[in-house]
Amino acid sequence: MADVAHRSPALTQTAAFGFADRFRDRLPALLAVVGLVAGWQLVVWAFSVPTYMAPGPLDVLASFRDDGWTLWNNFWPTFFESVLGFVFGNLVAILLAIWFVHSRTAEKAFYPIAVFINTIPIIAVAPILVLIFGSGYLPKVIIAALICFFPTLVNMVRGLKAVTPATLDLMRVLSASKSEIFWKVRIQSSLPFLFAALKIASTTCVIGAIVAEWIGSNYGLGALIIEATYNFRSPLLYATVFTAALLAVLLFTLVSIAETRLIRWKTSDVH
Amino acid sequence: MGASALVRSAAMPAASAAKADVAVSVRDVDVVFGERESAVTALSGVSVDIPAGSLVTMLGPSGCGKSTLLRAIADLVPLGAGEITVLGRSPEQARRERNFSFVFQDATLLPWRSAIDNVRLPLEVGGGGSAHAEPAELLELVGLKGREKALPSELSGGMRQRVAIARALVSRPKILLMDEPFGALDEITRDKLNEELLRIWRETGTTIMFVTHSIPEAAFLGQHVLVLASHPGRVKEFVTVDLPAERRLAMRDTLEFVQITAHLRRLLEEC
Repeated sequence: MADVAHRSPALTQTAAFGFADRFRDRLPALLAVVGLVAGWQLVVWAFSVPTYMAPGPLDVLASFRDDGWTLWNNFWPTFFESVLGFVFGNLVAILLAIWFVHSRTAEKAFYPIAVFINTIPIIAVAPILVLIFGSGYLPKVIIAALICFFPTLVNMVRGLKAVTPATLDLMRVLSASKSEIFWKVRIQSSLPFLFAALKIASTTCVIGAIVAEWIGSNYGLGALIIEATYNFRSPLLYATVFTAALLAVLLFTLVSIAETRLIRWKTSDVH
Repeated sequence: MGASALVRSAAMPAASAAKADVAVSVRDVDVVFGERESAVTALSGVSVDIPAGSLVTMLGPSGCGKSTLLRAIADLVPLGAGEITVLGRSPEQARRERNFSFVFQDATLLPWRSAIDNVRLPLEVGGGGSAHAEPAELLELVGLKGREKALPSELSGGMRQRVAIARALVSRPKILLMDEPFGALDEITRDKLNEELLRIWRETGTTIMFVTHSIPEAAFLGQHVLVLASHPGRVKEFVTVDLPAERRLAMRDTLEFVQITAHLRRLLEEC
């Protein structure tokens, strides 16, 4: 009896080892978050900070409950602007990078312009685009796309060129054509570089969409931030900020999942 | 001295050799890198005939152009003067017809492809060539049966080089050009691969040109050793090694073997 009772927990422990292990791994991060939130609430209580100035976490939670519908309705426009901007910005960057790698002239002609565009602060471009394209989805998508564009372009150009001379010698001995080298070697070896950029873009595209919504919009998380600020609805403001952060985390996670599915190899072969 | 009984030397290869028996013919070849004042003569007036079906090792001090000669034969380096014919064709023609394969010092495997997919690469690019061997059988030939699905990062350095050899053999080349293929490996792995290369050479009947900077390796593998001198790179001597074709590692401790390596060492010291 005692022997059996002793043995069965040991067996379940082996089965649940993965979960328990992962939990123990995350424990410090979890504790830190709980500690910070508790500390925040304590500070608000101890110094009787007025809610409009800085709401406590309980106020913010209440806002999630009371204004949940508002948050939900404003989440989707920002979501679509961010995703569309992400897709178009990166697509243009990837295609441009492919063109640059195949044509030195194109690279010489347009790379400086790309650098110049990147140096213009996105907040300065936003009003211009709103003036041109009005207050619809388009200017937001364009700004989200613009903010994604440059890191992806730079990384993709580097990635497509990151083929060792030895590999190019090999392909030459095999009499491989330029397009064969491109599809069999360059695309694959650029993927780690591309995903490094896509991870950055997955969070910056949300910033782009929100900044665009500040300038001229009456929907979306950006508009909600402005509205909540002007009306001193600080708990709603905080709740909106957290929702925006959640959106960025969601997109980042999606890109990371795609990365682990597409890149199963390590570059250890390249000395 | 005593070595003369075992080593037949000739400053120039026998010109009387019938053309049909010559796999690679090099005539008065110059290779110059750079232009005008900064020009460096890598090879000067090199002439040699590589008998069909033989295993010729190429030995010389660094900078003697032994790799350059191999790369010139493989159409990777343009000739300044002279002529190279590979099975009676120009190097470019021979390359397009897949008459030779090249094994580099680095395995140069594509890290995202499994071992067997790396072996298949030559069949997928450059027209694929007409005749080809079964990739799975080749992996068995190089002792990697059961590791077909392994990624390069999951293989040791020696195993990666075995995959590279299998890849080189997949288009059934008549000539195998090997540029210090085992140079980056430890001595034990190297010895083992040397024995296996001799086995593969006997089983496939391929002509092999093998660049090395190791005197014992050159003598152990080669039926002939092409000794090159440096500054500028030129043929010092074409040494014929009179050891049985069937070679065992233990043979390296015999007096005959030591006399051959002593002769090669003397030649290198004169360079």
